[in-house]
Amino acid sequence: MPATQRDVRDRISSVKNIQKITRAMEMVAAARLRRAEQRIEALRPYASAIRRMTRQAAEAAGDLPRLPILQEHPETRNVGLLLVAGDRGLAGAFNSNIVRAGVAAAREQESEGRETSYYASGRRPASSLTFRGLELKQSFTGFSDRPAYADARRIAESLMAAYVDEEVDRLDIFYNGYISPLSQVVRRETLLPLQQATVLEEGSEDESDSEGDERSRDGAQPEGPGPLVEYEPDPEEILGRLVPDYVEISIYRALLESTASEHGRG
Amino acid sequence: MAHTNFRVEVLTPEGQVFNDEVELVSTRTAVGSIGILAHHAPVLAMLEPTELRLYKSESEVVRFAQAEGYMQVTGDDVMLLVEEAHPPSELDSGQLRDRLQQAERELQDAGDDTERRRVAERDKRRWETFLEVASA
Repeated sequence: MPATQRDVRDRISSVKNIQKITRAMEMVAAARLRRAEQRIEALRPYASAIRRMTRQAAEAAGDLPRLPILQEHPETRNVGLLLVAGDRGLAGAFNSNIVRAGVAAAREQESEGRETSYYASGRRPASSLTFRGLELKQSFTGFSDRPAYADARRIAESLMAAYVDEEVDRLDIFYNGYISPLSQVVRRETLLPLQQATVLEEGSEDESDSEGDERSRDGAQPEGPGPLVEYEPDPEEILGRLVPDYVEISIYRALLESTASEHGRG
Repeated sequence: MAHTNFRVEVLTPEGQVFNDEVELVSTRTAVGSIGILAHHAPVLAMLEPTELRLYKSESEVVRFAQAEGYMQVTGDDVMLLVEEAHPPSELDSGQLRDRLQQAERELQDAGDDTERRRVAERDKRRWETFLEVASA
């Protein structure tokens, strides 16, 4: 039956309604992205500075720390892998890139005779790992839309306990680093032990992603042994609090980078 | 006496709260109160909750209720990294008293030498200090 004028009018108005809804959804998505972007940009200078201070204090503290969180285990038998992605599954390669990178890293470790323990932040990486028949040590879910500092603290406490109790001897984290709404990059970082941490390899240059803080503060530090820095209290005592803060803030940054990436893609 | 000014930046996880030239920074480290003037020797310090005072001049002082953090003094500038920093006018004494009570309850329940006790003690000290700043 040919469409009557009335049918056509109804159809036009229905399409217009869909357009309105789509536009509203786009606006919500854009607002979420903007908020996520603002949060990560506010955090980056702080996180970079915490990491720089950790490096400086670690270099000053010497090799024989007393605190368990600062001690490198004699042997790396088990590597903890924290995969950070999203709770939802509609974000293209956002989730699968992380799972793929984590699983590849685990195979590499296992081929060198080490065991691995998976931790997941986000429902998607948790269910992907389970689906692949891989054992999940612990998962943290329900906040990937808007992670709070308390979420990062909970993850950090759990992972630091696993490290101190020698369930894991190293801790690597995988997340999508946010560059722009269309561009994310999978980042891998070693957080513990501090002696192997990525933060120690970052050299005297500022991290490339700390756009909010362009000055190189390390330039002001004398190079080489024995810079005349006063430590209050001594470096190891500072590290006792600084290292947990550095683990928390690094995880928080990963959660926020990941959230901004997810909103950009999603 | 006129002092030389130097740059001070105060950062929190939520962003920058202060970035300006000052004559004197007054805060508290784990060791005790500390005042930083221009050309101070390099320092890396752990900060305890206190009233942070940034003296732009003798008469113009910017105050913050400052939580735990760190301070790095390099050749010509000072950076403070703190978990929280609030202007006294933004503090809500009622809310702070609630938090203090909660920390005190936690402290009663927590066992000796547990992480829970340490966290509660830290919280208690922070909210006590913030209340003092709020009522000053």
